[in-house]
Amino acid sequence: MNDTEIYHGKPPLGKRIGAYFAAIPKRFKNFWCSVGRKLKRIPQRIGDRGRYIKNAPKPVKASMGLMGLGQLMQKQIVKGILFLLIFAAYIVYMVLTGGKAMFNFFTLGVVPPNPWLGIKGDNSVVMMLLGTLAFIITGFFIAVHLANIRDAQRTFDFVARGNKTPNFKQSMASMFDKYFYITALVLPVVGVFVFNILPIIFMIFLAFTDYSGQVVLSGALVSWIGFDNFKQLFSVGLMGNTFFKILGWNLLWAIMSTALNYFGGLAIALLLNKKIVKGKKIWRAFPVLAFAVPGFITLLAFKFMFSNQGPINYYIEQLGGTGKLFFGIDSKWSARIIGWLVNAWLSIPSSMLLATGILANLNPDLYEAARIDGASPWTQFIKITLPFVIFATTPVLIGQFMGNFNNFGVFYFLRGGIICDGYFLASDTDLLINWLYSLSIDNKYYSLGAAISIIIFIIAAIISLAVYIKSPSYSKEDMYR
Amino acid sequence: MKISKADKIINKQIKKSRVGRKVTPKKCADYFFTYLALIVIAVIFAFPVLWLILASFSESGSMYTFKGFFPSSYSTETFKKLFTDIEMYNYPRWFGNTLIIAVASAVLGSLLVILTAYVMSRFRFGSRKGIMKTTMVLGMFPSFMAMTAVYLLMTQFNMVDNLWGLVLIYSAGAPMGYLTQKGFFDTISNSMYEAARIDGASNFKVFIRITLPIAMPMIVYTLITSFTWPWSDFILPKLLLKNKDLYTVAVGLMSLGDTEFARFAAGSVFIAVPIIILYFCLVKYMVNGLTAGAVKE
Repeated sequence: MNDTEIYHGKPPLGKRIGAYFAAIPKRFKNFWCSVGRKLKRIPQRIGDRGRYIKNAPKPVKASMGLMGLGQLMQKQIVKGILFLLIFAAYIVYMVLTGGKAMFNFFTLGVVPPNPWLGIKGDNSVVMMLLGTLAFIITGFFIAVHLANIRDAQRTFDFVARGNKTPNFKQSMASMFDKYFYITALVLPVVGVFVFNILPIIFMIFLAFTDYSGQVVLSGALVSWIGFDNFKQLFSVGLMGNTFFKILGWNLLWAIMSTALNYFGGLAIALLLNKKIVKGKKIWRAFPVLAFAVPGFITLLAFKFMFSNQGPINYYIEQLGGTGKLFFGIDSKWSARIIGWLVNAWLSIPSSMLLATGILANLNPDLYEAARIDGASPWTQFIKITLPFVIFATTPVLIGQFMGNFNNFGVFYFLRGGIICDGYFLASDTDLLINWLYSLSIDNKYYSLGAAISIIIFIIAAIISLAVYIKSPSYSKEDMYR
Repeated sequence: MKISKADKIINKQIKKSRVGRKVTPKKCADYFFTYLALIVIAVIFAFPVLWLILASFSESGSMYTFKGFFPSSYSTETFKKLFTDIEMYNYPRWFGNTLIIAVASAVLGSLLVILTAYVMSRFRFGSRKGIMKTTMVLGMFPSFMAMTAVYLLMTQFNMVDNLWGLVLIYSAGAPMGYLTQKGFFDTISNSMYEAARIDGASNFKVFIRITLPIAMPMIVYTLITSFTWPWSDFILPKLLLKNKDLYTVAVGLMSLGDTEFARFAAGSVFIAVPIIILYFCLVKYMVNGLTAGAVKE
């Protein structure tokens, strides 16, 4: 039956989504098959490498043994010396601190601190950090070493073809021409490694230790404890309870906020798009104004507005009511709803601008045709505008969903520092990210915080990976060339 | 003579358009509700901002003297106090710190982002797809999940309570957000580069002489977005700056309570104004940045 259906143009969105999910097992299988094929090829590749090492010309072999030697043998003195210097620097680093750091990474220290005897003891966490750093530096060193072998081989081939050995100046010039991409990427890659990847790896390790303020205070050493942190989060008890309560609220919050922000922005954009609206630029300026004010200022302003002596309570009292604590310890839902609306105030302008951009791309002929066919404005909206906008913004929508899921600012500013009954160091408005902050920064439960961040990451990865890889900015990058 | 179906429809349309020119009750209602909604939206979005501006001109600083949203009396005293009464709250100092951090990280960060984006867009090399996937996965980690680690790392490098430590973190993390810029470079045709290459220019020269001038609007956009981020960030400075003299404006304003409300308002107005002007000049680019992930047809 289904095979006989013929569509003009693309199949409807529902069908496409269905097909997408139906193909998941197949893609899964393909993925593992390709992994299997790669594994099968490993012995052969090892053989290839072995043969290459055996048959390599002399300078290349020399470079394999000692970095830079091959270059020196081929009369590239400056280059050879530079490579040798890098090698020497690495050896010095490893002898002085690196080797010990690597060893300490596994033991996490053996000497507990003892203030009575004046022993400073081992700082396990610093050891872990420096150990990780040592591994990353070794990785870089291996990369440089491989580059050195490749360079020796290349020079050898170049000379074998009857050319003159390139001198240092020419080598430098090639770094800015043929290998410009390497030169350009060195700084960004090193920066990202040290300030993004190293901390993330460190946090992942941390999730499997028992590092917390108490351990530090009691003077014990940090040790590896496997999955205990995760077990604690998923267990029955205060901790597990808190985790599931917060997770549930976090999901609800992300869905509700994304929906409100998205459709609110779309509604304002459509309103401004109406033909009868004069002075569109002036009307649009108001949301843009809200968009431009730094977020923390608005959040603090709203906190003042709803504070005990703030204007909202002033008017409530003027009207004969009694003042309310909007962000007090018992005000679960009022705080949640105010947070929801404040977040909408902050985010609707950006989704309005987004929707305006998308609507400008919409072909007006479609509406013309629909009007001649006698479609009401509502039908036009449901059948033309909405599918187009939703389809065009799916990746952005996912991004907004994740942004709301990890929305740290709103409840940190509006209702920070409150701990509710039945929650472990958290309040009933806190999202996972606020809990993570409260645990690791305010209360020094570092390893638990790390475990939570891994869980957040897994949720984020599941939601966005599949969608993102399918998005055109990734898969159709050459479209406009 | 029979009237065809198409003619009938056209007649109907003509009739309709004639009716449309008259002021019908329906149309009146449409006007009324549209403009009512617009006014409500404008008030909702403008009101908190206006309130802050109003509050910054209040004579007494404390929130308790306010009559609802309105200060009991007005003066420009608070702005003067902001810059002269610096015993407790050294606003000029905070402002200077923020400016140093934001300008330095904008310049360094933009350089790294533009380089990364250009290379990723223009060159095809072995580890390219690998790098793209890695950055994508890394982007999924909550941005301050690694805060503890960054903090420990900075203590090791002796960079806590150091403005340049923040600059280092902001600019080193900047290349992670290269996708918008890469999208821009993807739209530039290859032929221009090829022509320069045939004329014997090295890739470095092509980058300096051709890419940078073409990418000027994108560079401006990058500079400004990487300026606004440190300008309004509060998490990292809060974590890494413990010394009161090194506070940024965000951390400083966060430390103000109910009784210093007017000071908070004045300080906020003062740092929000440049950003607002920038945004209004660049709203077009901002939309492009926002729609970078969306389907373009």
